[in-house]
Amino acid sequence: MMADLAIKLGLIGIFIAGFVLNVGGLHAWVERKQSALMQDRIGANRAFIILPWRWAAPINWLLRPLNVLGLFHPVADAVKMFTKEDFIPPKGDRFLHTLAPFVSMFFALAAFAGIPFGDRLVLGERVIELQIAKIDIALLYIFAMLSLGVYGVILAGFASKSNYALLGSLRASAQMISYEIALGISIIGVILIYGTLDMQEMVRAQGKLLFGFLPMWGIFLQPVAFFIFMAAALAETKRIPFDLPEGESEIIGYFVEYSGMKFGIFFMVDFIETVMVACLMTTLFFGGWQVPYLYPDGFHFPWGGVIPVNSLVYVLAGVASFTVKVLFFCWLFMTVRWTLPRFRYDQLMTLGWKVLFPISLVNVVLTALAVLVYKVVI
Amino acid sequence: MPTLTIDGKQVTVEPGTTVIQAAEKLGIFVPRYCYHPGLTIAGNCRICLVEVEKAPKLQIACNTPCADGMVVHTQSSKVNQGRASVLEFLLINHPLDCPVCDQSGECDLQNFYMQYGLYDARFQEQKQKKPKAVPLGPTVMLDAERCVLCSRCTRFTDEITRTGELGIFNRGDKAEVGLYPGKTLDNKYSGNVVDICPVGALTDRDFRFKARVWYLSSAPSICTGCSQGCNIDVHYVIDRPHLAEGARIMRLKPRYNPDVNKWWMCDEGRYGYKFVDENRIRQVSHRGQAVSWEDAYSSLAASLARFKSDGRLNEIGILPSAQQTNEELFLVRKLFKEGLGIKNCDIQVPSPAGTSDGFLIKPDKNPNTMGAALIGFPGASKPLKSTNGSSASGHIFDKALSGEIRALWVFGHDLVKLFGEEKVKALAASLELFVFQGSNDNGTARYAHWVLPSAVFAENDGTFVNVSGWVQRIKPCFAPLADSLPDAQVLLELARRIGISLSFKSAEEVFNALAAEMPAFGGLTYERIGLQGARVHQKEPAAR
Amino acid sequence: MQIKKRELTFWEKIYLPEIFRGVWITSVHFFRNLAIHTAHRFGLLKNVRAGVTFQYPENPRPLFPRLRTRHRLTVREEGTPRCVGCMLCETVCPAKCITIVAGEHPDPNVEKYPVRFDIDLGVCVYCGYCVEVCPEDAIRMDTEILDVAAYSRAEMKLDMHELMNPQLRKPVKECTLKFPHKCAIHGGELRGDWRFVYGKNPEQIREEGWKEIQELSGKEH
Repeated sequence: MMADLAIKLGLIGIFIAGFVLNVGGLHAWVERKQSALMQDRIGANRAFIILPWRWAAPINWLLRPLNVLGLFHPVADAVKMFTKEDFIPPKGDRFLHTLAPFVSMFFALAAFAGIPFGDRLVLGERVIELQIAKIDIALLYIFAMLSLGVYGVILAGFASKSNYALLGSLRASAQMISYEIALGISIIGVILIYGTLDMQEMVRAQGKLLFGFLPMWGIFLQPVAFFIFMAAALAETKRIPFDLPEGESEIIGYFVEYSGMKFGIFFMVDFIETVMVACLMTTLFFGGWQVPYLYPDGFHFPWGGVIPVNSLVYVLAGVASFTVKVLFFCWLFMTVRWTLPRFRYDQLMTLGWKVLFPISLVNVVLTALAVLVYKVVI
Repeated sequence: MPTLTIDGKQVTVEPGTTVIQAAEKLGIFVPRYCYHPGLTIAGNCRICLVEVEKAPKLQIACNTPCADGMVVHTQSSKVNQGRASVLEFLLINHPLDCPVCDQSGECDLQNFYMQYGLYDARFQEQKQKKPKAVPLGPTVMLDAERCVLCSRCTRFTDEITRTGELGIFNRGDKAEVGLYPGKTLDNKYSGNVVDICPVGALTDRDFRFKARVWYLSSAPSICTGCSQGCNIDVHYVIDRPHLAEGARIMRLKPRYNPDVNKWWMCDEGRYGYKFVDENRIRQVSHRGQAVSWEDAYSSLAASLARFKSDGRLNEIGILPSAQQTNEELFLVRKLFKEGLGIKNCDIQVPSPAGTSDGFLIKPDKNPNTMGAALIGFPGASKPLKSTNGSSASGHIFDKALSGEIRALWVFGHDLVKLFGEEKVKALAASLELFVFQGSNDNGTARYAHWVLPSAVFAENDGTFVNVSGWVQRIKPCFAPLADSLPDAQVLLELARRIGISLSFKSAEEVFNALAAEMPAFGGLTYERIGLQGARVHQKEPAAR
Repeated sequence: MQIKKRELTFWEKIYLPEIFRGVWITSVHFFRNLAIHTAHRFGLLKNVRAGVTFQYPENPRPLFPRLRTRHRLTVREEGTPRCVGCMLCETVCPAKCITIVAGEHPDPNVEKYPVRFDIDLGVCVYCGYCVEVCPEDAIRMDTEILDVAAYSRAEMKLDMHELMNPQLRKPVKECTLKFPHKCAIHGGELRGDWRFVYGKNPEQIREEGWKEIQELSGKEH
C-alpha cells in the first residue's frame, strides 16, 4: 500500500513537478528567446550571475552558458513577482481574489493526471502504468478539468470588483465556452475510431499500422479533427491569435487588478495549459508515447527488419518520444503565437461558431459513417 | 491753401506744410530717420524719398513744401528703388550688432530694410570702426558705429532742452555723434534722445540688456511722478520672471499727447517706476502679524462701527492722498466724510516744494492734487510748509498727537518722513486705531497697527486730473502684486460691511457717479476721456 | 485618397495556407538564426549577423552627425561663452525651456554676454531651433550625450557649468567659471570676476577696448 503511494507520489513528482512545471516555467524564457530569434533579435540576456571573487572562476565558467542564454531571466522574473506589492482592490473580495489564481492553477495541473506519458513499466513483479491516475474515462476527466479552469477566470474578474476585469472575464468565459464546443466535438471522431475514452488504450491503439506501414496516429485518421482541435485548443488556452481575454498591454483583461505572484500564477497557468494542449495533441493525434515501428520486443520495420530492444529501453524510448513530441508542439504553438496577429472579437466568434463548429459536426458524421462502413464491410 | 494729390488721394493743407505732414494727414506713412514732428527739419537721412510728378528727381518728403496741384507717389517702384539705395548707403558702415543691440525689434533700420531694402550686401571693404558702448551720461549709452547721423539727438538738445551737449564731429564716413568737450548728457530730459534715436546708437542705460523689446507688452498710462501727468506707455513683462530680478515693469516710454507732454517726458518720471516692483507691501498685517483681508475687513468695520455707536466720530482722522485716483478719493469722501460723517478728513500734509522747470516738471509731485481739490479735499492745492506740533494748527496729525484724535487712517503718506520718527512712534503707542493703506513699505507702515497693501498705478484703474485740468485715465497693466488690492475695492468692501450702500462694481461706475455728482466732471465718461484725456469744467466750481 | 482593397483569393480566404506560409517564414528565420547563433558559439560564421540588436551601453549605435543631442555652449579662447545673450534662442524656443539673463561685458567689442544661461532639459523638446537661430554659433547640439536622466526635476536643469563643459554631470561640486555669472551652485547669486579671466579690472578692459577701436578707426578720438 505504502509502496503504491510512494510510486504514485514519485510519478507526480517526476511528471508534474519535474516535467510540466519546468517546461511551463521555461516557456517564459522560450517566449523571449524564440521571439527574438524569429525577429532577428538577440533576446533578453541581461540577467546574469557573475561571482566577483577570484576563487569563483570555475563557478563563473559553469554559469557562463546560463548567463549567455539569459536563463536567469525566469529566475529574475520570479524574484520580481514575489517581491512586488500584492495589491487587492479595496472593494474587492479578498478571499475570492486570492483564490482565483489558485483555482486556475489547480485545475490546469489536475488535468495532467489523465495523460499517459509512457507504456507500462515492469519492475520485477510490479507493473507501473506511466500515467498518474489510471482512469477509464481519462479523456472526459481532462476535459472536465479544463472546463473548470474557466471558474478561475470568472472568479478573478468578479472578485476584483472592477468593471474592466469583469468585462474581461465575461469576454474570456464567452470565448472559452464557445471553443469548448468545437474542441469537444472534434475529438468525438477520434473516440469513434479508437472506441475508447481511456487515454492509455487510445495510445496503444495508435501503435497499429495502417496499410501495413503508416502508424495509426490520429493525425492520419482524423486530419480535419486535428486542425479543428488545434485551433480550438489555442483558443481554449487564450494564446495568440486568440488572446483577447488577456491582451497583455492593449486590451484590459480579467486579471487587470492582479499584481505580484498572483499575476504570475495566471501567467504560469497560461504556459501550463499550453503544455497541457501539447500533451493532448500528442496523445490524441501523434501517437502519445508511441515510437513508430517500436513494439515491446523491439523494432519491426514494415520492410521486414527486426531490431530487438530491452523492455526498459522500450519504455524509456516511449517516454522520450512523448517528451520530444510535446516539446515540438510547444515550439509550434510558440511559433504560431509569434507569427499571427490577434483576431477581432467578432472574427473570433464567427470562427468558433460558424466555421469550426459546423466543420467538426460534419467531421463527426462522416467519421461515424466511415466507421459504420468499415465495421459492416470488414 | 494748396491742394495736392498723394497716392491718388486729394488733401488740402495749410501753406508751408511739407509733403510728409500732408501724407501723415492722409494716414500714409513715409519712412523717416531724421524727420521728427517735434524737431526742426534737417533733411539729411534721405530715406523719405517720394516721387513728385514733373520733378526731375525724387524729392525728400520731409522738406518739400506742398504746392497746389502737386501729384505725389510714395509707393512707386522708382521710390522703393531710391529708398533701397539710400538704405544701402546708410547701412554701409553699420555693424552686425543686432544680437547685442537693445534697439533690435523696434529699430527703423531693421523695419525699413525688411520693407524697402532686402538687397544682398555688396560692401566688401573694411567697415569704419567708431566708439562703442560709451556712456554719454547717467542714462544714455552711445554706440557711434550704429549711428546713421540723422541728428535728431543733437537737434533735441539744441531745440528742446537747449543744453546743447551733443554734436556731430568729423566728416564723411568718419562723422560721428559725440559730446562737446567737458559736457555730459545729464539734463533732465536726456532719456528722450533714446526715444527719438531711430537706430540703436543711443540706448537707455537703465533698460540696457534687461529684456528684448519683443518680450514687452505695452499699456497706456499716466506718469504719477508729478502733477503734469505726462502720458506714458508702460512696457512690462510678466511671463519671464528671470529678467531684471523678477521686475514686471521694464521701462516707461512717453506717449504723444499734444496738450500735455507732446512727445517727451522727464528722466525723473521715466526712471521713477521702480517702486512698482521694489519694496512693496505684500500682505495685510496687524501689529506685525500677517492676517487675511477677511479678518482686516471685519475687524476694521467693527472698530469704525464702535466709534460711531460711541458717538466718537470726531476722534477719527482720515488722511487721504493726492496720489490716489479720483475714484478712490470720491469713495473716501462717500464712505468717511458723508457715510460716517467724519469731519477730520483732509488731504493737506506739509510737503516740501519740489523742483520744477518751465517745461514738464512741476513742483507738486502728486499726480492728482487738482482732482482732490475738485472732489472736495481743497487742502491739497495749498501745501503746508510745516506744522508746529500743536493742535492750534488744526492739522489732523497735530490733533492726533495732542490726543484729540484716537483713530488715524493714512493713505500712502509717509508720516515718518513728514514729521519724524519719534512723533510717529509716540502716536502709534497712543492711538487706538492706526491704519496705513499704501503700496510700499515705509516708516509709517512699520508703526501702523494695520497695514493694508494697495495697488500701484500700473495695477489700478481710474483717473487723475493734472495741473492744467486734464482728466486722464490709467489702466491696469497687470494684476496687483501678492495680496495688494486697489484702494477702491477695499473701500467698497468696507462700506458694505459698515452698511453704507455704495454699490459700484468697477472704477468706471464710480467715475460715472462722480461725474453725475461733481459739476467739474459733468458729462465725462471713460469713453470721452479716451487715451488723450478730457478737460474738466474749471470755471463752474470757481463760480460757486 | 481612395484606398483600394485587394480582393482576397480563395486560398487566402480559407486562411489555413496563409498560416502555414507565415509559420514557414518565421520558422526559417528561427532556424537560420538559431544555427548562426550556435555557430557563433563555436567561433564560426563570425561575419554573419544573427540579430540586428545593438548591445547598447557596451556597443552604442553609431550616431549620425546631424543628430540633435544634448546642448552645449561654445566657448571663447579665454573661457567665456561665445553667447552674446541676444535671447533669440529663448525667444524661438517652443518649449520655453531656455532662460537667459544678459549682462554687460567689459569689452565694448563684445558688449553683452549671458550672466545666466539655463536649459531645462525636462522641458526641452530637442527641436534644435535654438541652434538654427543662433547668430553667433554659440549653442550647438552635438555633444552626442543621449542618456539625459535624473532623479529630480531640478537635476534636469543645466546651468552654464554643464553647458560649457558637457563632460560635467550633475551634481556639479564646485563652481569653475571665473567670469561673473549666476549658477545653481551658488543658488543664483552673482559670482566671479573679470579679473580672474583677463587679469585686469573691468575698467581697464573697457579702456583697452576703446583704445583698440581708436587704433582700428585710425585716428585720435
